[in-house]
Amino acid sequence: MQREELTVNLRNVRAIAGKEVYHLIRDFRSLYLAFAVPLLLILLFGYALSLDVENIETVVVDFEQTDLSRDFIRRLDASPYFRIAAQLPNTEAVKDALDHGRATMAVIIPAGWSADLRADREAAIQILLDGSDPNFAGIARAYITGFIEGANQKLLVEFLNRQGLEQIQPPVEGRIRIWFNEDLESRNFIIPGIIAIIIMIVGAMLTSLVIAREYENGTMETIRSLPISAGELLLGKAIPYFLIGLTDVLIAVLMGQVLFGIVMKASFWLMILASSLYLMVALTLGLLISSVTKSQMVANQTAVLITYLPSLLLSNFVFPVINMPKFLQLFSSVIPATYYINILSGIYLKNLGLAYLWPDLAILTGMFLILASANCIVLKRGGF
Amino acid sequence: MSWLRIREMVRKEFIQLFRDRKNRPILVMAPLIQLLVFGYVVNYDIKDIRVALIDQSRTQESRLLTDAFTAGRIFRITHLPETPGELEGLLLAAKVDLGIRIPPDFSSRIRRGDTAKIQILADGGMSNMASVRIAYTTMVLDRFNGELIKELYGRELKYGKIDGRVRTWYNPNLDSQHFFVPGIVAFVVMLISLLMTSIAIIKEREAGTMEQLIVTPLKPIELIIGKTIPYVIIAIGQMAVVTVFAIFWFEIPLAGSVFALFWATCLFLLSTLGTGLFISTVSKTQQQAMMTTFFFILPFFMLSGFVFPIANMPTFVQWLTYLNPLRYFLVIIRGIFLKGVGLDILWPQYVALTVLGIAVFAGAVGRFRKRLD
Repeated sequence: MQREELTVNLRNVRAIAGKEVYHLIRDFRSLYLAFAVPLLLILLFGYALSLDVENIETVVVDFEQTDLSRDFIRRLDASPYFRIAAQLPNTEAVKDALDHGRATMAVIIPAGWSADLRADREAAIQILLDGSDPNFAGIARAYITGFIEGANQKLLVEFLNRQGLEQIQPPVEGRIRIWFNEDLESRNFIIPGIIAIIIMIVGAMLTSLVIAREYENGTMETIRSLPISAGELLLGKAIPYFLIGLTDVLIAVLMGQVLFGIVMKASFWLMILASSLYLMVALTLGLLISSVTKSQMVANQTAVLITYLPSLLLSNFVFPVINMPKFLQLFSSVIPATYYINILSGIYLKNLGLAYLWPDLAILTGMFLILASANCIVLKRGGF
Repeated sequence: MSWLRIREMVRKEFIQLFRDRKNRPILVMAPLIQLLVFGYVVNYDIKDIRVALIDQSRTQESRLLTDAFTAGRIFRITHLPETPGELEGLLLAAKVDLGIRIPPDFSSRIRRGDTAKIQILADGGMSNMASVRIAYTTMVLDRFNGELIKELYGRELKYGKIDGRVRTWYNPNLDSQHFFVPGIVAFVVMLISLLMTSIAIIKEREAGTMEQLIVTPLKPIELIIGKTIPYVIIAIGQMAVVTVFAIFWFEIPLAGSVFALFWATCLFLLSTLGTGLFISTVSKTQQQAMMTTFFFILPFFMLSGFVFPIANMPTFVQWLTYLNPLRYFLVIIRGIFLKGVGLDILWPQYVALTVLGIAVFAGAVGRFRKRLD
């Protein structure tokens, strides 16, 4: 018996795979959802979702109505970050606008502001920010502070010119160059990252059902009585989903490139290698959940909880791991998606090759080996 | 309609649900785990910018500049590489967020009255965080320039300067948890109520017990009510647990009224249970139902303003979000938690939830009854 476990008979594998494919084709909607989910995700993230902040809806109360205040408001509106939504008569209207969410920022220019400026005194303006969305408010605060700092530089130069010091120039100039994502668009890091999520959905969530289904339908008994080893069963169950997953990767890569112009900087084949490896991890994880839980509903919920959500939340996909508490950072380091997303960002954004990425690939390989053996052990305990 | 029959149906449903030991942890643990993880995960605060610095000038001026960066406690110099190549390696390996190189001629240029150029490399990978880091960097440089000019001209420059006093409302410390934890409460309610209802019905169909239910005196509407009430109870129970956890564990102040929150949850459940019913009418197997549920949850989640601001979406998609019940529920839940506002301000959201809920639920019930006949 022991020897039988180690040898894999390809005919048996093909038979199991054929049965699974038949299942998939008969259950046509699951199959087409397996392709529709990636399409939906890429379209959503590419077209609709962005973490970048521009055109902050701003309301203004101008108690001054002088050239200076009007000029300030005009320049605020002209900046790509702010959009003046309305001029309001008083501060009560501001509170109303913020409470209703009609605006997220308010600028209040008090009476006497221009006079202060002209008399070379500090002139305060009040800025109110809706802080409910901290990502948004943090960026907005940085932008408005920067905007005012810039306006002050201009005022300083004007002042010095009035004093007859027109030769003055800023002593230090920062030449800022942005690497990896030159136009600072969240799309450029989200779209590659979404591939990791897609693989988890298709790889782990779909396969988490396949063995549980056999248990629920009572067909596991039949399979157990067949001359099939645990390895053959697992391989046969995994192959169709491997092909679906790989197709999904290609669809995602192609859509990213054609629709959104997101092009890999490093090697395509390295990407395929990493994706296959990660897909194998996802599949073995799904199968393991399936044979442990033996119930489709529990398997699905478990899969959401330990594959989908962690890949989405703890993998550095859109939520920075570095800001998380230590225990979650630790958790993040056992999640396959963390390493795969690191590889993806290396390939898509940073133009890195094997020399930089081999540790991540090695960890994924290790994860796959551990999960594959765990699968065999669980099935054998179940009577294989 | 007989309440007795409905009660028995509800009882049967609860027995089935709790008889399976494996269901128990999912009903209780899953929402709590989601809350705990989500509560800590989403944090875009920029409190710590890791900098690699090459100071090739090593003069008083360059040290002043370094101090200007580290004074605010936001920038932290973590590495002092020797060569630009080493600095680039640190950026590639994501060990630092920012690389600064102060060239050898830095001070001599300043002393001559020229502009000294320093080179700054920023990791733009996560663009939203990079934007803030870059804005901070420019701010430090602008301030440093102001100080230097003052010093170079040897006297206090009193000029008309704008003093921007930024105050943040509703969430003054820009605490991410205040924003996301109430959102998770909404998300958890949706996830459970949507999936559980559809599965509960499909399971009857898969097991062949649906036929048996149909031949009992149970009327279709009683069947629907009996199938949904358990999940209403579970969802509200979970909502309560999660809310208590949000208040005591994450210390999110509940500024508004509990009653308004409860009321909104019930209205929201109309839509999610309706969607669950609908999914059960279009699915044959559990696998199909789960995949279809997922297909609904994804856009509900993404297009709700939970993580991604609706204001950033293209106009067409913004219109689509008006069809999303989670969008309204989130506004309500955040309004009640953070702003402490009530029905007087949130009534449009309540109306929208009611209209959507009734439409979805009635539509699903109609479809469901047709399938039963």
